Amino acid sequence: MQNFYFPEKVKIAKIEQHSADVKLFRLQKNRGKFAKNRDGLVFNPGQFVLAGIWGYGEAPFGPASPPENNSYLEILIRNTGGVVTNAFHNLKNGAEATLRGPYGNGFPLKFFEGKDLVLATGGCGIPPIASLIEYIIKNRKDFGRVYLIYGAKTPQDLLLKERISNWEKQIKIILTIDKQAPDWKGGVGFVSEFVKEIEIDPNNSCAAMCGPGPMMNALEKILRPLGISDRRIFANTERKMQCGIGKCQHCTTGEKYTCTDGPVFYFDEIDRNWD
Amino acid sequence: MMLVIERKKIDDLIQTLAKNTSVYIPVRREQGGAVESVFEKFTPGKTIDFYYLPTLCSIKEFFLPAIEDTFVFDKRKNQAATLAQKKPFILFGLNSRDLEALTQLDEIMAKPNTDFFYFKKREMATVIGLINEPIKTPPGGDLILLKVNEEQYEAMPITKKGRALTKKRFFKKESAVITNAGSKSEEIMPRLRQLLLDPEFLSDVIKWSWRQDLAIWDELATLCLGCGICTYVCPLCYCFSVEDKIDLGGKTCARCRKWDACTLPRFAQVTGGHNFHKTIRERYYNWFFHKFVRAYNEYGKSQCVACGRCQKYCPAKIDIEKYILKMVDAYVKAKGV
Repeated sequence: MQNFYFPEKVKIAKIEQHSADVKLFRLQKNRGKFAKNRDGLVFNPGQFVLAGIWGYGEAPFGPASPPENNSYLEILIRNTGGVVTNAFHNLKNGAEATLRGPYGNGFPLKFFEGKDLVLATGGCGIPPIASLIEYIIKNRKDFGRVYLIYGAKTPQDLLLKERISNWEKQIKIILTIDKQAPDWKGGVGFVSEFVKEIEIDPNNSCAAMCGPGPMMNALEKILRPLGISDRRIFANTERKMQCGIGKCQHCTTGEKYTCTDGPVFYFDEIDRNWD
Repeated sequence: MMLVIERKKIDDLIQTLAKNTSVYIPVRREQGGAVESVFEKFTPGKTIDFYYLPTLCSIKEFFLPAIEDTFVFDKRKNQAATLAQKKPFILFGLNSRDLEALTQLDEIMAKPNTDFFYFKKREMATVIGLINEPIKTPPGGDLILLKVNEEQYEAMPITKKGRALTKKRFFKKESAVITNAGSKSEEIMPRLRQLLLDPEFLSDVIKWSWRQDLAIWDELATLCLGCGICTYVCPLCYCFSVEDKIDLGGKTCARCRKWDACTLPRFAQVTGGHNFHKTIRERYYNWFFHKFVRAYNEYGKSQCVACGRCQKYCPAKIDIEKYILKMVDAYVKAKGV
């Protein structure tokens, strides 16, 4: 009988500080490489893994690394003061952690092919979108016009800045912050004000978004005016995925399980959920 | 020909089985004037309660304990070991509702992914039912002892394990057995039991009620203490949390799985503080929604066997059956069905 709860050992190969409370962790297998799925990917962008430390526990994270890269996996962790995130922030390079997954569905990459894409996220919601962008750039000719709209409170809260500047050659990027800051050249205020900069064919477009519950409403306000239908808006949702295999009930939303049916849902699938 | 066991021999059978294996049976306890039934490990002198009352701890505790260590991590060896049930045990004397609940829990724990720790215990267990009322289909277990008359029970083996047990000397083949079981055990939540036969209808009622009849949920929210006891005693509530605990010397730690309850305040709270089910009203509805709506979508039935535990042990004395019936009445009135 397979034990789905048993995690594998991984090594922290690199730690980077990305903002005051967010660090990036590169996870490597002690020996060998990560297994690939049928599509030649270690995970499907949008899927999540359960990373943990013995003695502290596990928590769900959406990997941010290029999905075809099987030598490492990168996750971004915000120190929320919780047991697991705090323990991760105290780790040093070379330390050991645990990993299981990937779990859930991820974004429908094949369906995205040949279409214009609007990717919208804010703050800590960037990791799954980042891995999706890496995939898009690697297969750039398969996709139409691609926009990333990424908002944060201050310029310091924008994560993965180096990678964002690399992406700029391949996709159109709109960065916004809440209040004007010195030397800031991007947008200020609600992301919705920048919708007019987006030129897509609404009948042949998809949107992918990621953010915590309250942010979904804000992102929806951007995507709806673009004329993209709800069935083509794919929302990567955040819930308390604890077991990862559809048992513990923490991550349910309406009739769905975020861990097994999601975490990526058609927007109309979750929009009218009572919770 | 019918395979039967004399009622008075059942305690002897238990005693024989208990020589080699741990056997757990329902027994009746009297404490300070209160009468309770509990599942206890058999020791000589204890007798089985043929008509046990809804026990505080349901049978799920044998397979999904309130707290269990799943892995132990040894810091010096830098290795994690899996803990799994190794000793066989027998659960003797389950009534039809508890057997039904166990059958459902087996199905839940197998889909969509097998729960390792649950099934390691399940594999080690032999489950024997003791049913006093007529049944249409055997509700589960390895062997069922079905009352045929005041003195005798028919042995109905369900699995290989059950068949092996009927080879014991206590079972006899008889041709002329008088069948007049007649006597019905005391009915618990009889109207809810009737409603459970139409899980689609119940699912519709609960969904409709949340949209159209908010007053009833407000009322439940004022009554409910949000303590989670209803879910702990329920044989079909299986929400859990996983937490690591470290031993005082710091040498080992255990990944510990424990019961959680969707009615507790922080059940749907994510790190950083956002809570998807902030109010008791939402959490109470979520409990019902899982039992009657999501369960119906997933398994085609309600996750309830009307065992009566939630109602019996609710410290706020919420008459759950009454509230479900109220919702049904309001629905029927509104829809004219």
